[in-house]
Amino acid sequence: MHKESAIREPLILGHKTYHDITEDVCRSIEGKAPRNWYIMFGISLLVGLYGVGCILYLLGVGIGTWGLNKTVEWAWDITNFVWWVGIGHAGTLISAVLMLFRQKWRMAINRSAEAMTIFAVFMAGMFPLIHMGRLWVGYWVLPLPNEFGSLWVNFNSPLLWDVFAISTYLSVSFVFWYIGLIPDFATIRDRAKSPVAIKAYSLLSFGWSGRAKHWNRFEIVTLVLAGLATPLVFSVHSIVSFDFATSVIPGWHTTIFPPYFVAGAVFSGFAMVQTLMLVLRKAMKLEAYIHTKHIEYMNIVIMTTGSMVGVAYLTELFMSWYSGVEYEAYAFLNRATGPYWWAYMCMMTFNVVSPQLMWFKRLRRSLMFTFFISIVVNTGMWFERFVIIVTSIHQDYLPSSWSMFYPTWVDIGVYVGTIGLFFMFYMAYVRYFPVLAIAEVKTILKSSGESYKNGSAELHTPAKPKVETVVENIESKKVEDVVSDKSDEDHSEKISSLISKLGVGDALNKDDLKLVSGVGPKLESVLNGIGIYTFEQVSKMTKPEYDLMDSITKTFPGRAERDDWAAQAKVLMNNKNN
Amino acid sequence: MGTNRKYWKGLEELNQTPEFLENSKNEFPEELSVNEFLADEKLAESSTGRRDFLKFLGFSVAAATLAACEAPVIKAVPYVVKPENVTPGMPTWYASTYYDGSSYASILVKTREGRPIYIKGNRDHGFENGAINPRISASVLSLYDSERLQNPTIDGVDTTWSSFDASVSKELSSAASSGKKIVLLSGTEISPSTESIIKEFKTKFGGDTTSTTELVDGVEVVTETSTGNIEHVQYDAISYNGIRQANLESFGKNIIPDYDFTKAKTIVSVGADFMNNWLLSGQFTNQYGQRRNPDGEWMSKYFHFESNMSISGSNADVRGMIKPSQIGEVLSILHKEITGSALAGVASTLDAKVVAKVKDAANELKANKAESLLICGSNDKSMQVVVNSINSALNNYSSTINLNNPINLFKSEDDKMSALIKEMNAGKVGAIVMWNTNPTYSHENGDAFNTGLAKIKTSVSISQFADETASNCKFVAAENNALESWNDFNPKGNVYAIAQPTIRPLFETRSAAESLMTWAGMSEFSGKDSSSFHDYIKTMWEKYGFPKQTKYSSFKSFWANAVHNSTDDANVLAATATTFNGNISTAAKTIAAVKGGDFEVITYTKSAIGDGKMASNPWLQEMPDSITKVTWDNYITMSPADMKAAGYSEELGQESPSSLATIVSGDVTFTLPVFPQPGQMPGTVGVALGYGRGKNNEKIGKSAYQTGEYGAFLEDENGKRVTIGANAYPLLANGDFSVATITKAEGVYNLACTQTHSTVMGRNSIVKETTLDIYKTEDAGVYNHQHTLHTGWNHDEKPIAEFNLWDEHPVENVGHRWGMSIDLNTCIGCSACLISCQSENNVPVVGKDEVRRGREMHWLRIDRYYASDIEPTVGTKGKEFAEEGFAGLQDASNDPKVIHMPMMCHHCNHAPCETVCPVAATTHSNEGLNMMSYNRCIGTRYCGNNCPYKVRRFNWFNYPSYRKFTEVNPAQDDLGRMVLNPDVVVRTRGVMEKCSLCVQKLQATKLVAKKEGRAIIDGEISTACSEVCPTNAITVGDWNDTKSLVRKVTTEKRAYQALEEIGIKPNVWYQVKVRNEKNEALAELQTSHGHAAEHHEEAHGEHEADLETGHDSHDDAPAHH
Repeated sequence: MHKESAIREPLILGHKTYHDITEDVCRSIEGKAPRNWYIMFGISLLVGLYGVGCILYLLGVGIGTWGLNKTVEWAWDITNFVWWVGIGHAGTLISAVLMLFRQKWRMAINRSAEAMTIFAVFMAGMFPLIHMGRLWVGYWVLPLPNEFGSLWVNFNSPLLWDVFAISTYLSVSFVFWYIGLIPDFATIRDRAKSPVAIKAYSLLSFGWSGRAKHWNRFEIVTLVLAGLATPLVFSVHSIVSFDFATSVIPGWHTTIFPPYFVAGAVFSGFAMVQTLMLVLRKAMKLEAYIHTKHIEYMNIVIMTTGSMVGVAYLTELFMSWYSGVEYEAYAFLNRATGPYWWAYMCMMTFNVVSPQLMWFKRLRRSLMFTFFISIVVNTGMWFERFVIIVTSIHQDYLPSSWSMFYPTWVDIGVYVGTIGLFFMFYMAYVRYFPVLAIAEVKTILKSSGESYKNGSAELHTPAKPKVETVVENIESKKVEDVVSDKSDEDHSEKISSLISKLGVGDALNKDDLKLVSGVGPKLESVLNGIGIYTFEQVSKMTKPEYDLMDSITKTFPGRAERDDWAAQAKVLMNNKNN
Repeated sequence: MGTNRKYWKGLEELNQTPEFLENSKNEFPEELSVNEFLADEKLAESSTGRRDFLKFLGFSVAAATLAACEAPVIKAVPYVVKPENVTPGMPTWYASTYYDGSSYASILVKTREGRPIYIKGNRDHGFENGAINPRISASVLSLYDSERLQNPTIDGVDTTWSSFDASVSKELSSAASSGKKIVLLSGTEISPSTESIIKEFKTKFGGDTTSTTELVDGVEVVTETSTGNIEHVQYDAISYNGIRQANLESFGKNIIPDYDFTKAKTIVSVGADFMNNWLLSGQFTNQYGQRRNPDGEWMSKYFHFESNMSISGSNADVRGMIKPSQIGEVLSILHKEITGSALAGVASTLDAKVVAKVKDAANELKANKAESLLICGSNDKSMQVVVNSINSALNNYSSTINLNNPINLFKSEDDKMSALIKEMNAGKVGAIVMWNTNPTYSHENGDAFNTGLAKIKTSVSISQFADETASNCKFVAAENNALESWNDFNPKGNVYAIAQPTIRPLFETRSAAESLMTWAGMSEFSGKDSSSFHDYIKTMWEKYGFPKQTKYSSFKSFWANAVHNSTDDANVLAATATTFNGNISTAAKTIAAVKGGDFEVITYTKSAIGDGKMASNPWLQEMPDSITKVTWDNYITMSPADMKAAGYSEELGQESPSSLATIVSGDVTFTLPVFPQPGQMPGTVGVALGYGRGKNNEKIGKSAYQTGEYGAFLEDENGKRVTIGANAYPLLANGDFSVATITKAEGVYNLACTQTHSTVMGRNSIVKETTLDIYKTEDAGVYNHQHTLHTGWNHDEKPIAEFNLWDEHPVENVGHRWGMSIDLNTCIGCSACLISCQSENNVPVVGKDEVRRGREMHWLRIDRYYASDIEPTVGTKGKEFAEEGFAGLQDASNDPKVIHMPMMCHHCNHAPCETVCPVAATTHSNEGLNMMSYNRCIGTRYCGNNCPYKVRRFNWFNYPSYRKFTEVNPAQDDLGRMVLNPDVVVRTRGVMEKCSLCVQKLQATKLVAKKEGRAIIDGEISTACSEVCPTNAITVGDWNDTKSLVRKVTTEKRAYQALEEIGIKPNVWYQVKVRNEKNEALAELQTSHGHAAEHHEEAHGEHEADLETGHDSHDDAPAHH
């Protein structure tokens, strides 16, 4: 198997155990959602609902509620479509391509990136539907038998290829994502308390039992799907680009489009992953799993694909001049100097110049800067699509039909609405789904976890993590400090004396100490830290042991005695045994 | 399989027992004990439980609700007795005549199931050869205007004809006896029958007319002298009185002569827009077109001097920009050059370049004596006297100008009208009867007229609408639409014509003549089916027309033929030279006194709106102006140079509002947006007449008012609807032009313009143009370069037509292949085709706001391109291109050459739209048509994007029912829907539509030929656009018919296909425009090294296409040339 050199920065920081990983991921699902989550979700929901309202208005009244005209018959609709599809590219690239290349750093981000992909493709897929003049007969794009009232489709049309490309991509991405989720759902199911959650996660986990056979099949399916998904990464955006490349419109009719679109898609997709991850790791306290190294890797991808996009832009310009076709030449001249020069400038600056800043190590490792650039890149990529679509057709062959495009409030509403819906889905995902691939991350704990990788790292820490492994609140940190205070010889003596009296607990078959009145989750972890895991241990406690424990924890003198933990534990132990 | 088996219900039936026979008669064999049943006590005991009650309640509520639902009312009722000549599904055509006071044409009216739905010119009869203008075409829609008067009204209250007639007759009689004057006021009346009725009317009300008839050169000239208290005044909104007065002075005839453009080798027009509205513009345009074929015996040369950019001016071979105050100067130079004597006292302020052009014109005129024509748009007698003098010197009165066949239109008696207004205000008029006129709106002193009108006790207006004048009259006699009435006309010399009704009057209306007849006591009005006027006309024709001819022996056949053809093909008297007796020195004195100013305002009429009579016709309002391409609006046309100096916005577009300016001339003030007009003489501005109708909310039709973004009428601060534009008629008080001050006004205004970019950017495969000299001497490749591609290892050059990315559609030499050719040389941009197409194909009207957003629905549009300063002519790149680049091509020259290019679906054989449609809603027919299956279209608009000609139109909204279009789209009201052509489906929201090459007409023609068992004859095929084109610029036909005209013209030297190099293989061809001018820059560009340069450029283009077809030739393509 692959073994990483110790010089490489570890991918999991801090002294994470397998259990810690489970705990860190499940915390958000099992605990109560913080206020901020409700605020964020509420805002996204409202924006999304506004978008839905705009879409309903659009469907009720007609496409005329958009700002399109006889010359510019596609504008924000297809711009948004291509933009969202592009964003949806990173997920599968990360999970499939990087998987085949054995890039272990992907494990921290693949689950969320895939979720992002699916939600982005949802948003993308909506635009070709709502942009139709007659959505109610939109199913005619499917090659349905004539009994459905439709005739056979036109296989020459790139729009039809789109239908297949997008739907295939969406389904494969979804299946791939879901397969990965199964073991993690099972973990959540096993830990779940509420009957609803148990039921729900049982259904979601498809009866996963963790048997070797299951794992074996899981691995194979994942690999097969990765193999299937990899060509899709390249095909989807190639096909989307055919919408333009196969046309006769100068500025669309360009053979460079397929590779250029794919590079652009990966570019914007990674930028979106950055945007989301930087927020996610902070909000979910996953700094140990998604840290500077991951951000840096992604920035390198952004830099590379950004450069590819830049080369493509310049190639287009060169070809427009070299071809000598006056319409082509004018189309590009018009892009750069015509009425939409500002969009072209945005595109050039945001997409070509900004990723070049990533050559500086300090910048590409700066989280704030990365966050900023990720927004800039996605803005730039939106403008790229706008420039390609609108500036090409607004002044094409016959100057008599030249026109400008001005968005209406419905154009804007629908676009902003999809952003709202996207985040609404994403927020729901964050709340109810394991945001890290628990099972997968565990596989790299030993090869790339800080504590394993660096051995006695505590003594000489060459790669001291910059990110502190502060994952718990101040109260427990104090306890931890107390517990892990190595200078206090007396302390460990006390612990061992206490444990010798109570007996060594079985950490693996620990009881839920929280059932003891007066013991909360925090106290439970403190007790666990001392070595007290079971009711049996607690039940053995008497006055001296209470005092000893109080002197170790220094937090709740006399409380255990007052609540008579030992008596409670006895009852609980009996209940358990019965 | 037959069977003889019988089945019996039982033995009884088999045996036919008496009991059985008895029982079989009773429906219920056993007697029902009804009494017993009713007496059943249990039944009485049975009670309705709560649940049952609720059930019944629920059922009855549901049933009642269902019953209350409105069932769709099916309004189509089949004929019980099929009327003669009406076969459902088959059109019936009626020959008729159109005359509205300013336009005259012999027309054919298409009716379907009794509804007139379409009008085209009559090509078989009449002197216009079928030429019509857009207004005539659109007039069919005005028939179905829901705001037409539906009953006669007294003081605005609906009444019946009997009580109306009684009141009017009574009041007229009392007016006659009161000693006050009775006035009949109308537009020019050319109906001999109506004139005769007027005579009787006058007699009835105490007037007396002495008329003397004498034969002058074989034409009956009737001189009438009115005595007594009754007078008939004729007044036109646009007056040509100057020409009549000048001819009276010059030749002793108060007439407008006929002009023959087919004989004029040189045409010089000084401000006369003869292709638009000047006199009989239809006839003139057609004649002009006949002499514009560069392959013909000769091609005319046309000079035009004007201030505005007019349709005629835009088509001129040589155009000079002058101020209207300089018309006299141009005439003076011409006079000097041709007769040798200048006009005394006329100073020359003309630009040297213009002087040179005028001298050129003079030389050409002299060189073509008796084969030339000078016309002038001025309404000033002195100017016209000078014109007559020059034409006389040129001997044109023996050929191109015919004084013996006078045009009877435009008899406006301006002096009498002014006198009438004074009399009215002085209270001397006791009664007035008006028809076909609207002086409150269209007279320069409209307000004075209106105050005078208020002083008249008995004011009667015969009108279709309660318009500006009618709404101020006590009596309004609701008038028929012309399509509902009989009429006869004498438009010219001894030409007579008939108009026949094509539909029974829709409302309680009657024709003007019928009203006059009733009031004169000549007949009783018997309701809608009254035939008194028809009978009267018939009598008149029997009395006067029939004896004049020898062709028909019985009046019955004479009359039948007259009605069938709508006009007799009269023998026209030939032109004879007449001595000029005009007084040049007096004329010179008047001309010398003309004073210009810093800004001179010229009023003009647009081809769509004309004098404003049909301002409420939505088709016409939405028709892009031929020159400016603005719809739904009136504006000030100003030279871009002047606009820059004054700081006005020169931008056009959805979000680029125009600046407003206020014109102040004397006490006339109005504010309008300013439109940058290349070719407008600096120091002059143009304002169209015919706008600002209904400023007091008169009920003149919905489309005369502005609507807002969401469709409702815009209202001003007083809650009144806002008119479209301003009324410029008061300016006519100043004569040909008004000196004015123009100041920038507050605010901005959005114009809805269908074309916002005015140049063709030097693109030479869209429009092609050359000069007659080059055309005559050079190869076709010089001015009509065919695109080629290189192929194979040897870089063989092959024409673009030989390359195919896909298999060809098998349309060549198999069955039909419909093709169209448009001659850019004879297309004048009048837009008659556009309206005809709209009428034939049910094209929706979308209103100003939608047009502003670039969403007009016209299937056919006319692109108008100006040359930029670096284009020697439209679509060429001059030498300066090397330095200035595309930026130099962006803006039109201040004095540009103009080209008009009709653009519609090209029915490409390799159609880019067809390949991209995901559901195959647009496909190719095996006859070469690109077809739209509307009900298959899902509205992705991909086809529209991929169309290089941008001719596809998307239904952004549900035009027939969405609220935004209530006031503009005629298809939104029941009446307006009657104009829809049942052969063409009304498209639903969300689908694409476009020109179908009138496939319904093609199919109908094919069907006729098939039923007659013959092949289609060339010329039998026509499209809506081709059949109304006044110059026959559009040719359609079967391209596979090797003898067809379309095949012939598309294989000639001038034929080319727009954007041919894309390889889309259109079925529409154009023919290169050939201007009869000297253009050295163009000659240099096209003939010597200019050609090489262009060819070199093509090499790059070809190279690009090479890659596409897989023929790799890039390594030495540039070196190849």
